Amino acid sequence: MVENEVRLLPDDDGSWRLEAYLRQGGYQAARKALTAMAPEAVVAEVCGAVIRGRGGAGFPAGRKWGFIPKDATRPKYLCVNADEGEPGTFKDRLILLRSPHALLEGMLIAAFGVGIRTAFIYLRGEYAGLAARLEEAIAEARAAGYLGPRVLGTEFGLDVVVHPGAGAYICGEETALLESVEGRRGQPRVKPPFPATVGLFRSPTVINNVETLAAVPGIIAHGASWFLGRGLPTDGGTRLFGVSGAVRRPGVYELAVGTPLRTIIEVHAGGPPGGRSIKAVVPGGLSAPILLPEELDVAMDVDSLAKAGSMLGSAGIVVIPDGTPMLDVLQVTARFYAHESCGKCTPCRIGTSWIFKTVDRIRSAGGGPEDLDLILRLADGIRGRTLCPFGEGAALPIRALVTKFRDELEQAVAR
Amino acid sequence: MKRIGLTIDGSKVEAFEGTNVLRAAEQAGIAIPHFCYHPGLEVEGSCRMCLVEIEGLPKLELSCSTVVREGMVVRTATERVRQARRDVLEFLLAEHPLDCPICDKAGECRLQDYYDRYGPYAARMLEARERREKKAPIGRSLILDRERCVLCTRCVRFLRQVTKTGELGVFERGVRSEVGIFDGAPVDNAYSGNLVDICPVGAITAGDFRFKTRAWFLERKPSVCPHCGRGCAITVESIKGYPMANGTRRVFRITARENTAVNGFWICDLGRDGRHDIDDGRVTGLMKKGLPAPGLSWTKALAEVAAAVRAVPGPGRAAEIAVVLNSRMTCEELALAKGLFVASLGLSKVFFADRKPGDADGLLLTADRVPNGRGALAAGFAPRLPAPGELTSVRLLLMFGSQLTEDFAGETIVPALAAIPSRFLFAAHSGPLDRLADTVFPVAVPAEKSGAYINFEGIRQAFCRAVEPPPGVVPEGDIIAFLAHSLGLNPGDPDAC
Repeated sequence: MVENEVRLLPDDDGSWRLEAYLRQGGYQAARKALTAMAPEAVVAEVCGAVIRGRGGAGFPAGRKWGFIPKDATRPKYLCVNADEGEPGTFKDRLILLRSPHALLEGMLIAAFGVGIRTAFIYLRGEYAGLAARLEEAIAEARAAGYLGPRVLGTEFGLDVVVHPGAGAYICGEETALLESVEGRRGQPRVKPPFPATVGLFRSPTVINNVETLAAVPGIIAHGASWFLGRGLPTDGGTRLFGVSGAVRRPGVYELAVGTPLRTIIEVHAGGPPGGRSIKAVVPGGLSAPILLPEELDVAMDVDSLAKAGSMLGSAGIVVIPDGTPMLDVLQVTARFYAHESCGKCTPCRIGTSWIFKTVDRIRSAGGGPEDLDLILRLADGIRGRTLCPFGEGAALPIRALVTKFRDELEQAVAR
Repeated sequence: MKRIGLTIDGSKVEAFEGTNVLRAAEQAGIAIPHFCYHPGLEVEGSCRMCLVEIEGLPKLELSCSTVVREGMVVRTATERVRQARRDVLEFLLAEHPLDCPICDKAGECRLQDYYDRYGPYAARMLEARERREKKAPIGRSLILDRERCVLCTRCVRFLRQVTKTGELGVFERGVRSEVGIFDGAPVDNAYSGNLVDICPVGAITAGDFRFKTRAWFLERKPSVCPHCGRGCAITVESIKGYPMANGTRRVFRITARENTAVNGFWICDLGRDGRHDIDDGRVTGLMKKGLPAPGLSWTKALAEVAAAVRAVPGPGRAAEIAVVLNSRMTCEELALAKGLFVASLGLSKVFFADRKPGDADGLLLTADRVPNGRGALAAGFAPRLPAPGELTSVRLLLMFGSQLTEDFAGETIVPALAAIPSRFLFAAHSGPLDRLADTVFPVAVPAEKSGAYINFEGIRQAFCRAVEPPPGVVPEGDIIAFLAHSLGLNPGDPDAC
């Protein structure tokens, strides 16, 4: 990888200011898009870059933009999903902290491409401390003419509103996010209709992750093939891999999509400290089914992880060292989903709570194989039976934990 | 509207474009179980009970939110679908108190019905259930049992989408989610009773019905609500012959019945409280001067009326016999009244005394508080109250209904009536007029009649007797027909209206 190219994450901490961003060539891509490109060409370029959604679902962003009806009579909206709540994930936070203008420039390009005049940034409740910086970056951009009614002297205008969440994991689900922005209880909607046609305030809406949008200026500045060349033909670009847990150098690493998981852990993050070994790895946030040490050569891209029976998700890697009781891992996992289930769909509302209660019971009072079988059956009762992906997100990692560590769990709960 | 052809469980069916799979199946006689879906509310898709298989789609799909498409192949009874339903039911019942023996809903509860269809299975829930409030008063004498609630949110959506009053919300999250009112703002609207109707389980119960009887004792008969000009479709639910400790209550509740042309799915609380109109304050037997007349027979009492009519000589009748009718009478009764009093007897003083109009509420309740105002016009009447002077020369007054005192202040009507030598009252309910009448005849209320009403939009609705009148209580139509017969007159065809 060439070092002097524009990167998603600049190295120095003063980089969040507009001045620093401009020094690095910031807003040149937006200028190019707004003054030298047709909106359709912008969308086509992003389509060609095959940038897959960085929030977790991995849907190609350009295609998503293409779903917005061209002849819509209602206003169109852009919602930025900055509700980074997936356990093990902390990459968007870094973008908001270090490079908010990369996000704003990406939003500007997306809005221009799709024909949007109003955008919302839905900011995770726990990131309240970042709101001020984000607001200041928006004010800087407005004052310099990069946001507001006439961006860069063109006819195009964009307003950006920061909407803080209130601390619910479910609001990272795109339709629950829309409900929350509208001032209602954050719960998923029935799809179809999809947000592209009936979204925020019943209007066509694009919802993109922070990292996805922050990568857009690079695509416009250097072209789709440049971006594609940095990743895989089916999954372009670089991604921010957050590595936490038992590694020497935990942190966020910007690496090519398709980098093997083992390389990220062993080479970049330095592997487990002090002679420890790896017992298991969560490859893409807690909802991604756990991988065993022998499965770590998988390439970190959306399709490869899916083939391996897990998912790339938010690319938040959690390394679990030897000696960790997997019953504890199962318990915290089950507790998280029981705690965060929004309660709308029956299987998820009651199933996640039932699973947690069962895990809790066998952990404190012991149990047998039949309890583990029950947990698997309950997970199957949730999976595929809910409005939103939370059901899968809860059922699959719990299933994987119980299946892959069955012997250990049986011994741990045996009396 | 365009018809769409699809296959459900191997049968070719048709449905209008835009219909959802659940309704299309229902129309084809295939019942898909559901809790949260209600045709009068926006789709919620949360109970997950209505999942079906749709060819070409990998996952089970919601039949409530999936709209029919040409050539769609739907399967509602495969093992995969049945398993999904069993699972949803198992989840719901795992957190359900199973207090059916003391639950009003028992016998008409979806949890019971579906368990009957998809059970039995061995209970696998070994954990402690969530404990919740079991009798939260939420306003309008409604009681919420949060342990029984399945969180279908029909109640919440009804208050947001239909009454637009929004008193209920869902609070907390996950398994702790609960329906509730906002601080100090209980359910307070004139359609609150529908919450009990639409609750698929026993979570919302009505103070008026709680612990009064069991659903399986109720006889359910359709009727038309007589409390305003709309004529909503209702079901009158009564018990006949079951020995009750205090045997006075026959009608235990009135519930809404679907009629998309008139009232959709709802009725107002005024109509629902109409059960009191059927059971309370009734005249139960013939009375003389306001006192029960146990020795008097109907034949003898009506012969006295006929004799009083005959006593007024022909030429004087038009001015000296006055009749007061009401717009609760059916079209058939009004046609008979027209035939006897106007056509045959040639009376000119035929008046109407009705409940006073109120305000229309913009939803269902009309300003008129009578069901057959249009029927009175159709029968050829121009309904109006008597002017004060019009009763002075009257020698015989026949009053159908006891609304005159409501329409006139007591002090003006009492001397006017007292001055009339002969007065007969045909009334369903006791009132101040009883004392002023020589004889009071007990008559049936609309739920005890068969007939037709024409609603304020001109829709003619025929209905049949929904409850038996108490012994010795008859509809006004029978009385008019009997009078005509006694007088040797032909009142004409009751269906002429």
